[in-house]
Amino acid sequence: MATIELDTTKNAVPFDKANIPGPKMAKPVQAEMAGKFISKAKRPLLIVGTAAGDEGVIEAVRSMAEKGIPVAATGSSLKRLKEEGIDATYVNLHALVSYLKDPDWKGFDGKGGYNTTIFLGHTYYYASQLMSTLKNFTKIKIISIDRHYHPNAQQSFGNLKPDDFLKALDIVVAQL
Amino acid sequence: MAIKKGQFTIENLENVQINIGSVVSSGKAEEKEKAKGPTPAPDIHGLRDWDMRLLKRYEPVYSPICDMCCYCTYGKCDLTGNKEGACGINQEAHQAREAMLRTLTGASAHAGHGRHLLNHLIERFGADHPIDVGPTNIKAPVTQTVLGIKPETIGDFVPVLDYVEEQITQLLATTHIGQEGAAIDFESKALHAGMVDHVGMEVSDIIQISCFDMPKSQADAPLVDVGMGIIDSTKPVLLCIGHNVAAVTYIMDYMEEHDLFDKIELAAICCTAHDMTRVNPKAKVVGSLSKQLKYIRSGIPDLIIVDEQCIRADMMRETSKLHIPVIATNDKVMYGLPDRSKDDIDDIIRDLASGEQPGVLLFDYDKVGELAPKLVMKMAPIRKEIGITALPSDDEFRKLASSCTQCGACVIGCPQGLEIDKAMEAAVEGNLTLFEELHDKCIGCGRCDVECPKNIPVLDVIEKASQKVIREEKGKLRTGRGQVGDPEIREEGVNLVLGTTPGVVAIIGCPNYPDGSRDVYEIAEEMLQRSYIVVTSGCSAMDIGMFKDDEGKTLYERYGGGFRKGNLLNTGSCVSNAHITATTIKVAAIFAGRDITGNFEEIADYVMNRIGAVGLAWGGSTQKALSIGTGCNRLGIPVVLGPHGPKYRRAYPGKAYDKDKWNILDARDGSEHNVEPAPEHLLISAENKAELMPLLAKLCFRPGDNNLGRMIKLTHYIELSEKYLGVLPDDWHIYVRGEADLPLAKRGELLKILEEEHGWKIDWDKKKILEGPARKVDISFQPTNVPRLCKGASE
Repeated sequence: MATIELDTTKNAVPFDKANIPGPKMAKPVQAEMAGKFISKAKRPLLIVGTAAGDEGVIEAVRSMAEKGIPVAATGSSLKRLKEEGIDATYVNLHALVSYLKDPDWKGFDGKGGYNTTIFLGHTYYYASQLMSTLKNFTKIKIISIDRHYHPNAQQSFGNLKPDDFLKALDIVVAQL
Repeated sequence: MAIKKGQFTIENLENVQINIGSVVSSGKAEEKEKAKGPTPAPDIHGLRDWDMRLLKRYEPVYSPICDMCCYCTYGKCDLTGNKEGACGINQEAHQAREAMLRTLTGASAHAGHGRHLLNHLIERFGADHPIDVGPTNIKAPVTQTVLGIKPETIGDFVPVLDYVEEQITQLLATTHIGQEGAAIDFESKALHAGMVDHVGMEVSDIIQISCFDMPKSQADAPLVDVGMGIIDSTKPVLLCIGHNVAAVTYIMDYMEEHDLFDKIELAAICCTAHDMTRVNPKAKVVGSLSKQLKYIRSGIPDLIIVDEQCIRADMMRETSKLHIPVIATNDKVMYGLPDRSKDDIDDIIRDLASGEQPGVLLFDYDKVGELAPKLVMKMAPIRKEIGITALPSDDEFRKLASSCTQCGACVIGCPQGLEIDKAMEAAVEGNLTLFEELHDKCIGCGRCDVECPKNIPVLDVIEKASQKVIREEKGKLRTGRGQVGDPEIREEGVNLVLGTTPGVVAIIGCPNYPDGSRDVYEIAEEMLQRSYIVVTSGCSAMDIGMFKDDEGKTLYERYGGGFRKGNLLNTGSCVSNAHITATTIKVAAIFAGRDITGNFEEIADYVMNRIGAVGLAWGGSTQKALSIGTGCNRLGIPVVLGPHGPKYRRAYPGKAYDKDKWNILDARDGSEHNVEPAPEHLLISAENKAELMPLLAKLCFRPGDNNLGRMIKLTHYIELSEKYLGVLPDDWHIYVRGEADLPLAKRGELLKILEEEHGWKIDWDKKKILEGPARKVDISFQPTNVPRLCKGASE
């Protein structure tokens, strides 16, 4: 068995300690696997929050956007993304989860809804709570590649140290 | 002479006193108009049609905070994935029920407050005490709109609260197993709960304004001190906490009568602080709910009086450690304390001062009034002599910070995820700046203390490290003015409806802000500079007053307090939020001449389509904030929540892309028109201030805007989006109905974008839009969502 360079499944407990939603919680995922899942997704949507503009994270966003994954810029992330020349569409995250729940929504490109959402760079409790909408009321896959464990995703990194988080993003991107 | 409720004696007849209870009929009562209007005092289903119109457009979206239901012994039931539980309820309906229950909890807190106050004030002032809220012909706009009656005396509010309480009981009953099973009807019920909440709030505030001589629609209500740094701790400090000012008025009366305001610092936290200063501006405001535990832990208070709502459950544990006696004055919060209401004041003082009893219940307010000042003056030297030290010494602070192992337990325990571990590390090196920055973001909940495996009193460490900034926490608050008066509505209503005043932004609610209290100051400042009317209340109103400009002036000192563009109005405490919805009702009545009596649906329809008002509960944390917001929603006022908002479990976002949702009728002939999504959302959240700012401007658009109004609103929307998000918003064009809607300074540039990016046809010689907009402006357009309001309607 190959040695895992970075274990992103460790410390998979809700970052907000009491955020235990119920019996179904995210499966901790290795960065490499997360990258493979994303690369295989038919209609992925990268949903980024304001912290996506942080150094090291924005490079991952750029790489994923360049691989053709559409980027939904929530919060105030769009400003930084535009400065970096990354193509993205502003959308309010709360509104977005209601769109994703709507089978008649045609997506940002008019080609239909999305089957996989990838969360990155969010205010923890905000994203966690809105992932619960997708978890409970849609069939959409939710992959969190954020720094902290998100129980309402289907797959999530554990809580990572800042350096490990950036390494994990590099591993994800390498799989695309 | 009409028989009045109350007591009277007969002259020359000693020992004869006649008590009159409820007056069944009197000449005056018969003269009063009976409830009238299309929907007077609606039951749960009375406004269901209106709710369905709202919910069809703004479909509820649920964000469960817990995927299970544990309501009954069948459970726990796992509802993950919208499964059904043992009783048959699915996740969607359960979440709707949860949101409704929280709304109801908030409504009952205000109504319970109102009932306590009403009973007390009727006993003290008599049921015939007249309502006096300032210059108005509509004394109780919410009550009149919902119940179809026009109260004149405080006693007239008895049946009003009877109605509110009945609705709350009926609504609560629907949460029982085997009752409601449809999410959509739980939503209608939640909206009903929100509406009755505004009635309960209105009653609570009108009766206290009328009886306690609080400011009455007073734009220049007095400025008072606010902040943790304003208290002179060399004097005995009497701290009041809560929302119900009834008992505290007796303390203020006693202090006035005995010239004690110079000898005692009388201060308060939360809404009691608002109402104390409305009664007597000599009182001081320590701050919002987030200051409560911090201020108790400071050890400064020598005595604490509590009443009801937003008081910490761990009060006695905290105060006992610091030898601060507590007097509880309201049976909603009793802490297991002995009732000493019938005991001699000196005995009670003795037992509290000695520490034999850490606190007492005292429901006799005459005794509270006399005892509190006497006790606090006794306690201050006793506590000084004992040598109460609250916060750690410098040495202790260094040891505590050094004992931190950077395990991060405090961080994952913190609701805000604040990086306390990093601040500890910096403090060991002598750098306190991280703690000082953290202090304003800290909501003072104390969860960090509980989580620390080293038993470090983390909150104390934060506060010790921040002493320098705390000493500078000195602001100004304009005391709660109450309602907006009719003359102000007459003057400003036209600007608001036509849109030349771009909107009303109501910043309300609790201090669970995502990034500290400075946010609400900056939000208010930005909108005031743009000539929005900023209305505020409760904790937000206090926090807005905590920051100053370069000249050392707070926003309350820089901006007027009237209902006109670019003014900042503090209506008062939580229950004063009713005056915000009441203001929109008054605009409908006074400016548009609508009959508001028992006519909720028509008025809500008018508000939603005409009045650019938006609520903001940026730090909303309590159930009351949800009920206030939900009441605004039923009246057609959109509300934005901070990023903690989805924890309320439900929102009402709109779907701008779904054109069918934005059909609206023209009341002139019943014709249907597809209009721009305005307001786009009814209840939504934002991640941060930068995202919020353009959203606030956008939610002030209304289908009824005229060209000038739309141009002004669009200007602000575009400017705020460019300023905070760095881009022209991608949906600005859908709010353009003609070239006159375009911001003047950008007209050429925007016409070019319309042509090149959206395919609109432009006559460049005349700079006119020839083709493109979804509809043209018709200044006679009478937008409505209610078919019966259209001309020729059969209803």
